[in-house]
Amino acid sequence: MHNVFIIAKREYLERVRSRSFVIMTLFIPMLMFGVTVVPTLLANRGTNETKHMVVVAGDRETAEMIRSRIEQQQDQEKSGGEPEIKIKTKQGLPQAHFTVEVSTDTTATQRAALTQKVKDKTLDGFLWATPDAIKARKLDFVTRDVSSFIENGLLGRSVSDALRRSALKSKGLKEDEIDSALQPVEVQPQSPMGKDAPNPQVMFFATLGMVMVLYMTVLLYGVNVMRSILEEKTSRIMEVMLSIASAKQMMAGKILGVGAVGLSQVAIWVGTALVFSAGPLAAGADLLKGVLSIKLLIFFAIYFLLGYVLYSTLCAAVGSMVNSEQEAQQLQFLIMMPMILSIVVIMQIFQHPNSQLAFWGSLFPLTAPLVMFTRIAMQQGPLWDIGWQIALSIGLMVATIYGMIWLCGRIYRVGILMYGKKPNLPEIMKWIKYA
Amino acid sequence: MQTIELSNVRKSYDQFVAVNNLSFSIPQGGVFGLLGPNGAGKTSTIRMMIGITAPDSGQINLFGRPFERKSLNKVGYLPEERGLYKKMKIIEQLIFLGELHGMTAANARQQATLWCKRLEIDAWLQKKVEELSKGMQQKIQFIAALLHDPDFIIMDEPFFGLDPVNAALLKDVMLDLKKQGKTILFSTHRMDQVEKLCDSICLINKGNAVLQGDLKTIKSGYGKCNVQIEYEGNGDFLEKNPLVGAYNNYGNYVEVRLAPGADAQQLLQMVASRSRVNKFELMEPSLEEIFINTVGKTNA
Repeated sequence: MHNVFIIAKREYLERVRSRSFVIMTLFIPMLMFGVTVVPTLLANRGTNETKHMVVVAGDRETAEMIRSRIEQQQDQEKSGGEPEIKIKTKQGLPQAHFTVEVSTDTTATQRAALTQKVKDKTLDGFLWATPDAIKARKLDFVTRDVSSFIENGLLGRSVSDALRRSALKSKGLKEDEIDSALQPVEVQPQSPMGKDAPNPQVMFFATLGMVMVLYMTVLLYGVNVMRSILEEKTSRIMEVMLSIASAKQMMAGKILGVGAVGLSQVAIWVGTALVFSAGPLAAGADLLKGVLSIKLLIFFAIYFLLGYVLYSTLCAAVGSMVNSEQEAQQLQFLIMMPMILSIVVIMQIFQHPNSQLAFWGSLFPLTAPLVMFTRIAMQQGPLWDIGWQIALSIGLMVATIYGMIWLCGRIYRVGILMYGKKPNLPEIMKWIKYA
Repeated sequence: MQTIELSNVRKSYDQFVAVNNLSFSIPQGGVFGLLGPNGAGKTSTIRMMIGITAPDSGQINLFGRPFERKSLNKVGYLPEERGLYKKMKIIEQLIFLGELHGMTAANARQQATLWCKRLEIDAWLQKKVEELSKGMQQKIQFIAALLHDPDFIIMDEPFFGLDPVNAALLKDVMLDLKKQGKTILFSTHRMDQVEKLCDSICLINKGNAVLQGDLKTIKSGYGKCNVQIEYEGNGDFLEKNPLVGAYNNYGNYVEVRLAPGADAQQLLQMVASRSRVNKFELMEPSLEEIFINTVGKTNA
């Protein structure tokens, strides 16, 4: 144990003192800031413009109807609807405001003239809603911003709405009757647990957060474990090391040391993020209250740590098998596979929380960190009901970690004694058996 | 007490037998040469002594007890494959290795500084390994093996890559260690350097011990059948001479192995009649010669 600690300490200090650690620690938050804040700032600038468009229809009534729906729809989407959209519009995310003119001139010359105007940028677009086009349910919207799907979607909804309304109107319905007939209906899922039931949105985001954090840390730091073992092999120091410490101690020390570096860095980032976002977080505290329980945070910590260590041992195994970075990179995807598999399983679990897949996926050690955590987050009723499954999944992961460290030690120890040659699978199996 | 004792040790990798039925022991304070050509099984033998691999069969006793990891705190090992952490400072590296050997950090620092002074590299203590020349790295490695004051020191090709000045420096250190009663094992295929240091040897070839025992006894067993002659003039006496078994001509001096039963005096007279003889000396065969002979015989 003493040796494991000394080896871990060396790995940790060497890495934390390195220039790349300092750069990464500073650079990643800056990058995050750049990716999230700057585009928002830029977007805010560009979107408060007003767009000028023309609706061309066979008769004034249809044209007016479409115009009023467009204006109403954009008011509605700005102030109502789902909470996400509300937040976005508050920040002023892109949605140009349309001012709409109507025209009943459906001649080809008019179309050519309007097209020319759009080309000359004196007009932002026109909607060609002639009776023929309406009959075919396909209207042309001539605009320079053909790719602006938010705007185009808004137009589509407005026109459909307008046409539905005029159809109902022609049947003799009054304006308020039409309104109530077209009122959309919302279905709200209710758990039999009542208030205690987890909020599905929160669950989803909690799991997603876990997946992201685990994926990122393994990607960034698991690879470091691999590299650290490779370094040992290429610097040929391992023979000295092995004359002092056992291969298992070395593996455990490396995984712990490099792992702690990753955790330190993540802790620094999260700490900084918390400090800078303290204001908004306090405001959102009420929203988070129902979702993030202390219990869930504890399970997050447990499954994250176990998952991280487990995947690090996988990286260590790859590192102990290969002789160069290139070879290591080829094998890296093998490590990412179970994680991607977990995500697929989780998608299934959202649909069928009590399936066999959920059960086995939460016990299989490589998918357990993500899948079991999702199940815990989604669990309706006391956790005690799946207590033995939780215990078993943790037990299996710990056993796997220990087994992997043992296995890596064997592969590593024999691997170094015969470097230069790329081992194939039967050879690796043989190595494991060597005393 | 025997510092290390191998009895009937065998190790094979698949079909390949690296070490076959090897037995030898080194008494405390002894200097032992494990000799053999490349690929003879020297490194495999050493790796079993320090528990990097385990023998397939046979017994290894270290400090009088069956091998256990704990004993390694008293063993210093300089592997043939040298390696250090390149990005680490010398002093930190030495402290790290010292701590692994059970020293306290303070003690390791103190010893490392002393050793670096002795080997004249104390100016480099704060430098990173990658900034050092090969020879200097070699010295650091040497210190790493000796830092924790081991009782048993294993050196695999210790002089490889050292210039004569540094080689002499290291030789002095080893002689000093020998005086202190440390047990030392050299593994090498360079006989000339070891000959002066070793008490006993084991010569292995293809995993088998082909010659072992006390160095003086081995050499005297071969008798004084070698002659070194320094001469000026014609060297054609070497050709087709029934007195000469084999020879190595270096220009103005030659090493001759006498043919079986030949008289050295006869040879002296013959040479003196044709050339000026500056030196004529009867000698025991060098270890290198014994080595080449024995290995050649077993290979044939």
